[in-house]
Amino acid sequence: MKNLFVAFVFLLMPTLFFAQTAFNKYEDNAEITSVIVNKKMFQLMGQMKMDPKDKDAQQYLNLVKKLDNLRVFTTSNTKYVADMRTTVDGYLKSNPLDELMRVNKDGKNIKIYIKQGATPTQVKELLMFIDGTKTETVIMSLTGNFDLNDISVLTDKMSLPGGTELKKAAAKKQ
Amino acid sequence: MKSTLYFLAIAAVLFASCESKPTVQKYFVEKAEAKNFVALDIAPSFIKTDSLQLSAEEKTALKSIHNLNILAFKANDTNAVTYQKELTNVKALLKDDSYDELIKFNRNGMGASISTKGEGEHIEEFIILANNTETGFGVVRVSGEDMTPTNVMTIVGLLQKANLDMEQFKPLKAMIEKQ
Repeated sequence: MKNLFVAFVFLLMPTLFFAQTAFNKYEDNAEITSVIVNKKMFQLMGQMKMDPKDKDAQQYLNLVKKLDNLRVFTTSNTKYVADMRTTVDGYLKSNPLDELMRVNKDGKNIKIYIKQGATPTQVKELLMFIDGTKTETVIMSLTGNFDLNDISVLTDKMSLPGGTELKKAAAKKQ
Repeated sequence: MKSTLYFLAIAAVLFASCESKPTVQKYFVEKAEAKNFVALDIAPSFIKTDSLQLSAEEKTALKSIHNLNILAFKANDTNAVTYQKELTNVKALLKDDSYDELIKFNRNGMGASISTKGEGEHIEEFIILANNTETGFGVVRVSGEDMTPTNVMTIVGLLQKANLDMEQFKPLKAMIEKQ
């Protein structure tokens, strides 16, 4: 029985580690701007000592500990824009997420998807796709186990793309 | 009996994996004298603290750093192919399981990444890689013991207030000025 469990864990392991490989191909491409922050970085950041009286900093630290991976890919190369579109579609098919919000304005098509955790505002994965015909196209993927309410802290501190839309989406959900 | 077998199997895997595999350390040694490369070994003493009253915290932080190695590759009009090859080599070395990539950035032929080696926050090694197609790439390897985030922050603070001995960095400066 125990062996069966171990075997099961090993079977599942690849899906845990490689769930993100869909976007890995964009990592080392000169035409694509990429920013990748891994779990270890978040863990280390969470262990930094900050002024306990500084509420913003403390809130930030608490959030950081809940994050696993942040990936942002930006491009304005039409070839890769098309490729990103197909990849995101494919990813959503194999890995269904709930659509949280869809905005269409200023030639930008912003879609935000989440994978819900235990409670409605608990998020395990957040995927944002900004399809810009005139501006840059962005894929942002954030995984971990965080609360939608935390997002505003994150967008403020990290100046993530689509910050205003994310904030609105989080507010709407509550 | 069964457990001995398991043990042997694991030992075999471990030994096989740490045989003569190329490592970042070996790469530093190999390239130290190579063309287009400049290698530097910096002792932590380049942070001059004689004139400062160090707190206990700062002392521990300084002690956590043992060595700083810098390896730089200078790109020019003729070595673009070598640049790509060597950069790919370094990146492949950092992909090794014993390194955790913390953060990576990439834009228009410029890039930077930080990787670490060590359990949890007890970091033994930092590798900082920065590259630019036009100027070249540099790898900084900081080795030490228990370089926790707090220690690192303390060092950064020290760097700002201590005198820095730039003498040790001269070869690097010479390389940049040679343009």
